[in-house]
Amino acid sequence: MQLDWLLQPLLAQLNTGVLVLNDQHQIVFFNQFIARRADKRLEHTQGQLVYDVFDDLPRAWLQRKLDGVLSLQAPAFSSWEQRQYILKLPHLRPLSSDSLYMAQNCTMLPLTAPDGVSNYVCMLIEDATDAYVYQLQLQQSMAQLELANRTDGLTGVYNRRYWQQQLGYEVARAVRYQHSLALLLFDLDKFKQLNDQYGHQGGDAVLVELSAVIGALLRDTDLLGRYGGEEFGVVLPETDLQGAVLVANRICKAVAEHQLLFNGQTLSVTVSIGVSSYKGQTADELIQQADMALYNAKRQGRNRVVAWQEPAEVYLKQVK
Amino acid sequence: MTDFQFSEEQRDCLQELVNVAMGLASDKLARYLNTLVHLQVPAIKLVKTEQLPEHFADRHQQQSVTMISLGFFGDQGLRGETIMLYQLENVGVIAKLLGYSDDDSSEAEMLTDISSVLTTTFLNGLAEQLDNSFSYAAPRILSSRDKHFAEKLASTAEQWQLALQVDIRYQLTDYSFNCDMILLIPGEAVLRLRLILDQILASF
Repeated sequence: MQLDWLLQPLLAQLNTGVLVLNDQHQIVFFNQFIARRADKRLEHTQGQLVYDVFDDLPRAWLQRKLDGVLSLQAPAFSSWEQRQYILKLPHLRPLSSDSLYMAQNCTMLPLTAPDGVSNYVCMLIEDATDAYVYQLQLQQSMAQLELANRTDGLTGVYNRRYWQQQLGYEVARAVRYQHSLALLLFDLDKFKQLNDQYGHQGGDAVLVELSAVIGALLRDTDLLGRYGGEEFGVVLPETDLQGAVLVANRICKAVAEHQLLFNGQTLSVTVSIGVSSYKGQTADELIQQADMALYNAKRQGRNRVVAWQEPAEVYLKQVK
Repeated sequence: MTDFQFSEEQRDCLQELVNVAMGLASDKLARYLNTLVHLQVPAIKLVKTEQLPEHFADRHQQQSVTMISLGFFGDQGLRGETIMLYQLENVGVIAKLLGYSDDDSSEAEMLTDISSVLTTTFLNGLAEQLDNSFSYAAPRILSSRDKHFAEKLASTAEQWQLALQVDIRYQLTDYSFNCDMILLIPGEAVLRLRLILDQILASF
């Protein structure tokens, strides 16, 4: 059976781009898939360098690939995951995609003419825009999930699990690089009263607003997290005790001076802050010490900053 | 259960074919890279696929390894998958060699390029020896900068009955690097390969 008649209609209707180049990288053939999308006519471009016909080809890269195929007589591949496209072609999903050009998988095959001497490269171009779009959506969802997974739902600061994990990393970094590191734990004063007086919505509104006020006072590298109900923590990398006390006092003052509006009423709140700094402790010990200092700040009358100090008896023992 | 073992003659014959294929590959690569390429006579070893992960985990302990897979299909049911294992510290050397420095190719792109160049030149030579010809699937990166490559290797190797381990050492005038190549072949293809080897042996 004679099958030659099959070739032309098949190439014309194939949903894959077929582009054949000679060993000088000049165009020998392309099928309708490419002709229509690139708005080019084969008879106008035959014999021209592929780089002159198609704009913005990654020239150095493509030259190397084509030379490799020709000299090794072995196929080469390109995936949209590594190089989104080779030929700038439009795709047919204008609405669902924010990518302007067709994502492509490309296979470059060595071909030899029946004379056994003339070598060609056949580039097969497949539309991978669907996969590209799904991948993009997947990445976006993953990023959202990741964010949700480390954020406290109410206040938008880090949640306890993530914050504590980061504290662990910072302690490890402080050990390795001999950096200083400090920790603040603070607690809203008389939060229960606030809740009783204004309801839980009032309490929540205060937590949300104060998180924003305090967040604005911190450096990008500082880590603010919600430790418990009305208790928050700040990890201060590369900060010594003195620097941490300064930051704590700034927070204490800013909160006390901040006027909160809730249901038309002005509220003022204060915080008590405990400070500890890294001197070889574990992350848990740092939290414990900041918590003890916080307890002392409450006991000494609230709205103040107290730094953790080694208990007196230990101090005395050391003196002896 | 079918026995996928090779006789001693079959093994020797396969080693010889692999040697010739390697020779062809190094010749082509030398011309392509414009530098002297010396491919050492590779030691081949038939490994049971269930032992593969352990075997390679021992060889690449404590080092980050990249695994790249490339499927091949020939006539008469001969098919399989090659896996290239690279130490990541070698990647820069290989990249320089192939002339990657003048553009924005990503590490992943360089790795897949290098793998397809190395494996297809070798496999084309092997196909020639077997009176066959192969077509190839696009290379895939199975793991990169990943400590659990042994696990990935295990799940890949599961579907295959025979693994042919080919240790390749590429030595060039200015560079040298090692990489492992594993040929994974399914049961039917093993039987087919044995038949072909027997035919070759009979014709000598």
